[in-house]
This record gives sequence, structure tokens and C-alpha cells, in this order.
Amino acid sequence: MMEEVDLDCRGLKCPEPVMRTKKALQTAGGSFTVLVDNQAARDNVSRFARTAGCEVKVSDAQGGFLLELIPGAVKPEEMPRSGEMRCDAETVTVFFISSDEIGTGDRELGTTLMKAFLYASSESEDVPARAVFMNSGVRLVTENDETVAHMKRLEERGVELLVCGTCLEYYGLADELRVGRVSNMYEIQSALVGADRLVSI
Amino acid sequence: MGPGDLEKLLARLPEETAPRLLSSIRTGEDAGVYLLSEGLALVQTVDLFPPIVDEPYAFGQIAAANALSDVYAMGGKPLTALNILGYPCGLDLEVLEKILRGGQDKVHEAGAVIAGGHTLEDEELKYGLAVTGVVDPGKMTTIGGARDGDVLLLTKPIGTGILATALKAGLIAEGEMADAIESMRALNREAAEVLAGFRLHACTDVTGFGLAGHLYEMARASGASAEIWASQVPLFERTLEMVSMGMVPEGQSRNRANVKDLELSRWEGDEKVIDCLFDPQTSGGLLAAVDPADSDIALGELRAGPCPRASAVGVVLQQSPRRLSVRRGGSA
Repeated sequence: MMEEVDLDCRGLKCPEPVMRTKKALQTAGGSFTVLVDNQAARDNVSRFARTAGCEVKVSDAQGGFLLELIPGAVKPEEMPRSGEMRCDAETVTVFFISSDEIGTGDRELGTTLMKAFLYASSESEDVPARAVFMNSGVRLVTENDETVAHMKRLEERGVELLVCGTCLEYYGLADELRVGRVSNMYEIQSALVGADRLVSI
Repeated sequence: MGPGDLEKLLARLPEETAPRLLSSIRTGEDAGVYLLSEGLALVQTVDLFPPIVDEPYAFGQIAAANALSDVYAMGGKPLTALNILGYPCGLDLEVLEKILRGGQDKVHEAGAVIAGGHTLEDEELKYGLAVTGVVDPGKMTTIGGARDGDVLLLTKPIGTGILATALKAGLIAEGEMADAIESMRALNREAAEVLAGFRLHACTDVTGFGLAGHLYEMARASGASAEIWASQVPLFERTLEMVSMGMVPEGQSRNRANVKDLELSRWEGDEKVIDCLFDPQTSGGLLAAVDPADSDIALGELRAGPCPRASAVGVVLQQSPRRLSVRRGGSA
């Protein structure tokens, strides 16, 4: 049995299905159904209806898609994300490591603290999305065996290690990179500004 | 036609393999390149489409800028152009005159001439041009030379497909997409000239496959992976709003379906921006893979000069398996 469809938009090209849905929504008393025959129309009618505050239920039907629109079910500011998109919603943490030691004071203490911090990070359950190494921080991924080992462990766990190319050049370490990859100021700027949580060490 | 279908169609035909044919659609290039003599090759390209804006003169300019763009993307210089005009019976001659005048003025601005053309009766109005130019094969830029670490520079904002759909639907007036119209009718010549002064490893113009689609083709031809920093991608005004209104053109989903190895990594970003990355563009900007040591200065020169909204939108990476990643990148 074929259910009664309120608005048949089969055979119509974008943006026509959206325009008809828009018009229908203005006079609709309650929920109503829209039938479309292609993915683009399905996505566009869904996008529009959600923006207009409708809840949208999509099902396969008659070689196309049946969309049930329930007006007023969602406040526009609580609009759900499109169901098709699978974006990882976790917080993006970025470590910004601009020195080979932690804090200012005794150098031996500072480097020991850095080693301990990187070891702890490599063992922690909460790893960052990426770590950025600048200035003398590049020593930690080049000439320091211990920290290189910790960083390899982090990289194995999916952490992206971005190492400042200019800094490697400056310290004469361009050929010594042992973990992570050479990066540039655009990418680094973008990683820092794009972090939800930036941890500067 | 979407990139996937086009590839299938071409696979049914015998491949052209003349030794002088330096590049063609089979190598994913924007234009065909044919070697004439040492240091001199012919560049040929053709494009036509129905009106994207209502104003006929602007449509003519846009169609010509779009057709000429393939020559600039390869580092060439256009010489001649042939008009192709499909018109519905009974259409006012004045409209056709304005379209052709727009095209002619743009071709002249490019330093080329209209050498002729062809008209045919058609249900829907269409205009475009076949452009012929020259390039030094030694200095030619292809899509296959991108290297690990190259910074991806984009010279114009994106969103023309979405805005044209919204215009068609009457959700925006032509005046509300003035920045997009201005951009579509701007030649890519000066941008190409700026880029030619740097270590430019690969270049293409952003058109029907969308920014992400063309980058995917570039990465594939270069044997590399690539990453887009979505928040760094410049958009025309009102583009995101029109995505929310359901004004995404049909070609967008074909473009998206064609990118098989798409990774949306660690990014909780707005899917509306991702929708824009696959939006088919008309007369889009150049997408250039520039050596990271040059990219800062190249971007500065583009912004200070012909392309105020140019941006570094991503990076070429040597990753395996090969993929196109989209992450949020910077602010916005």
C-alpha cells in the first residue's frame, strides 16, 4: 500500500523541491510528507526544513526518499547536525612546546621536568590531537633520545607532531628529525588557533 | 557531468597517445597541450554553460573569464577565442549582443582576440568559448607536481554554485551576490603571473568539481595526500546562510561522492562549511601547490595585489593510505 504523500517533488530539479516545501510549510497545519527522487533534493529539503525548525524523518520510498517534516519540533538554535555527517565531536587539544625545558630556573631541573612531562603524556589516556614543536622545543624530536622515544609512542597513538621547519634550520637540525613531520607557519598558526584547548608548555 | 561519470565515459574510448600530446583530460589536466616546436606548445580548452546571472553582459564576461582560466592555470598565454552560442528561438537580439560584448571585452582584456564562432538554436540559452593559447612546455604547470609539504594557496573565495542556486530560487537578488559576480568575472591572469614568480609545483583552476574535488584530482595526479583547513577557506557573503536554506546545487553531491578517501579528522566543525568545499564553481580561483619556503611571500603578494581574499587553505602531505582530509584549521 502506498501512503498518501502531501507534496510530490519527484522529477523536479534543485532548488524547486525546496521552494515547494517552503510554500507548503507556510500553510501546513501540522506534520507533512515530501517525496523526492534524488539525494540532492533529500539533503536540501532536510537542510531547509531543519533551519525552519522542523524535525525531519527520512525513509526510503518508491525509488526515492520520503521526508516527514514536523514543524515546530525543534527550535532553530537547537538544530541538530545533519545525520549524514559523522564528525568526531571530541575536544581538540593541542600541546604547544616552544622550549626544551619547562619553566625558567635551573636548566637541569627544567629539562628533567620536560622529559617527565612528555613521558607522562605518552602514558596518559587523554592524548592531544597534535603537538607543535617550536624554537628549542625542536631538540625534543631530534637530538634527545629519551624524548624522541616518548614522542614516538605518542605518534603511534595517533597524535600528529608538527615541527617548525624554520627552527630546525636555525639550530642546524634539519636532517636530524627523528619523529613527527616538518611543518610551516601557516599550518602551525592554524593548529594553534583551531585548538579547543591549547596547552602551552 | 560529475568526475566519476566522466572517467567512466572516457574509459570506453580509445586513448589518444600522440607523442606531441603533452597533456589531456586523461592526465586530468584542464586543457589539452600539443607540442608545436622546441619551447612552444599549443594550449586548447572549451567551456560553455547556461546563464549563471541574469545580467547578460556580466554573464558574457563570466563565461569568457571561465574559459580563459584553464590557459592561465597551466601557465599559458591565450591568443584566440571562438564563441559558442546556443539561443532559444525568438530571444531578443539585444540580449545576445550584450552577452557577446561581455565575452569580447573580457577576451580583449586578456590580450586575445575573438577569431570567430558558431551559433545554434537551443531550448536553453548557453554561451561559452573555445580558447587557444601558447605555453612554454618547460615552464608549464600541471596538476601532477605537488610535493610533500607544499602549501595550498587559493586565490578566490568559493560559493558561486550555492549562490547561483539561491538566485534562481529568488532567495537573493543579484545585488546581494555582487562580490561573487565581481570575482567570477575577474581573470586569473594576474594571479598566475604572481604565482609564476615562485616555486609553483602544481596548479589548477577551481571549477565544476569544487575546491575539494579539484584538490583530490591534484593529489591523485601527484601521488600525494592533501589536507584542507576548512576555516581558512574564504567564502562569499551569504554562502553559509544559503546552505542552511537548502540551496546546494545537485552537482555538489556528485562531487562529494567521487572523493572516495575522504577523512573528516578530529573535527566537530560545521557540516555547512564542508558542503561548500564540494560546491561546483564557475570561474573559480587558482589552487596552487607552492613550496613552503615561498608560500608566505607568495600569499602576501597575492593579497596585496590581484587577490585580496587569497588564503592558504591546506597542505600537501605524503601519507599512506592516500587520502583527502578536512579539518577545521584556524579560527572562524
